[in-house]
Amino acid sequence: MRKSFALSLLLCGLCAQAGAAPPRVFVTNESGNSVSVIDIQANKVTSTIPVGKRPRGIGLAPDGREIYVAVSGENMIKVIDPETLKVTRSFPSGADPETFAVHPNGNLYISNEENAKASVYNPHTGKLIAEIKVGIEPEGVAISPDGTRAIVTSESTNMLHVIAIPEHKIVMNILVGARPRAATFSADGKIAYATSEISGEVKKVEVASGKIIGRVPLADDKAKPKDILVSRDGKRVFVAGGRANRVFVLDEKTLDILTEIPVGNRVWGLALTRDGKRLYTTDGASNQVSVIDTAANKVIAIVPVGAQPWGLTIRE
Amino acid sequence: MPLRFLKSSAARGATGCLLIFSWWLAAAAAPLEVKLAYIGAINSSAHQGALQGLEEAQQQGDFLGQHYTLVELAAVADPIDASAVIAALPAVELVAVAAAHPTLPVFNVTRPDDALRTQCKTNLLHVIPNTKTLVDALAQWRVAHPEAKTVQAQAWHADFEKYSASQLNNRYREKFKQPMDDAAWAGWAAVKLLSDLAAREQSADPAVLLKALREHLAFDGQKGVTMSFRDNGQLRQPVLLVDHGKVVGEAPVRGVVEVEDLDSLGQISCAK
Repeated sequence: MRKSFALSLLLCGLCAQAGAAPPRVFVTNESGNSVSVIDIQANKVTSTIPVGKRPRGIGLAPDGREIYVAVSGENMIKVIDPETLKVTRSFPSGADPETFAVHPNGNLYISNEENAKASVYNPHTGKLIAEIKVGIEPEGVAISPDGTRAIVTSESTNMLHVIAIPEHKIVMNILVGARPRAATFSADGKIAYATSEISGEVKKVEVASGKIIGRVPLADDKAKPKDILVSRDGKRVFVAGGRANRVFVLDEKTLDILTEIPVGNRVWGLALTRDGKRLYTTDGASNQVSVIDTAANKVIAIVPVGAQPWGLTIRE
Repeated sequence: MPLRFLKSSAARGATGCLLIFSWWLAAAAAPLEVKLAYIGAINSSAHQGALQGLEEAQQQGDFLGQHYTLVELAAVADPIDASAVIAALPAVELVAVAAAHPTLPVFNVTRPDDALRTQCKTNLLHVIPNTKTLVDALAQWRVAHPEAKTVQAQAWHADFEKYSASQLNNRYREKFKQPMDDAAWAGWAAVKLLSDLAAREQSADPAVLLKALREHLAFDGQKGVTMSFRDNGQLRQPVLLVDHGKVVGEAPVRGVVEVEDLDSLGQISCAK
């Protein structure tokens, strides 16, 4: 099982290069009902794709050939061709899809906020593969790099649910701070980091034991953090600080705050380039994307996008 | 352990089996029994709110190993065998219950009396906002909107959508075919905040829970802000401003006070 995941990872790494289009960032605009397309070289919006009511989660197929958008207001996943920038098809995805993660094998792991479930879809057939009962108001979804574990956060029952793949069974429930919104794995999959919006903190968790091994409060617990990512070299953790209007850069080991990067208002979404040199943020209340140089820890460009940008993904 | 389970986990290999087995053991160990009592009118919105909270508490307990029950008590004088009481009672009876059971958390989910907030009984916790909180919220709103004449302040509104409020409103409406009102929200909130602490403390001991309620509550009540209990027992919380049946804003009112300053609403201390 592990072998086949590793193989598919390798293959996907190769085929992701296939695109002829320039490197782009795709941004969902929750109130704008659209996806803004940013040209990375110019740091400018070059297209805006109407996608339907309340787009939130967004992700890239492992082979780079499709972009998936959770259109919450229509209970649909819409598929965008990243070359033609057109919506090519859509499929129903269960009630109120908020966000999802793309498995290395291409399947989508979706949190259905309204009915306390996570659902697994094959985006090529639109078929439901599995449904997993989780806590109330599931939100963040993360998949371990080797594809054997998923984490779904339940916002109103304050848990990280660790799900075994391909069994699709919960193997661990970890109680964390109030209103957990997002999680991410370390490169070896052994550690997870999770943000809790209401307790304003990041928790570091040992996945196998479910043990909480670190905690850091952000902006005196007032930050309302959302997205969280590990740097490509594995040494730092980036946290979208929500209402604190900044990105926190943490030391991966100690969780010490190394620096804070001011960005726009209500920063939620984060995405890193493949080389790890650029970090893009969605600043929801400023209708903009900030571009951060991760070596200098500085914003080097601000790109105006649609209304209330929510999530983003990069295709290189 | 059922044989079917053994067989299927063997197929997953040793590691998977061990993991699943240890989870299964944890989940299958005798769950922590948490008994809650409710005193007040049956099928009132406070009661329904508590039942909604109970269902959600159990959804968490199913994963973490707690089992919740809600016992409806007929009279104030009944003996109470529970971890906490949700009380929808007149002020006099509320005080009597709290005094008769001094180590038991007693949640006031209906009475707004300011006088109850100056008595400062350690175990009497007010989930519903008091009159002064609502008056202060209105006053803040009128500073920003002097023309507002018909605005009211409320703990909750069935059409409130922000901070996942719509999800809670949808769950309640689906279960009871009624809009969630202030008392229903307070009944729900009382059960939810207590149950989350029971899971964290792994305890049904009223004294342990009372200390946790006082010291490390982390709960937003679907109103977007961390709530906590003041020394006088009042739950610090935002309130909603409603005009002609529509939610028009929230207090603390932005631009008038700091949005985070929940203590700009209501009494802070025990003094009158």
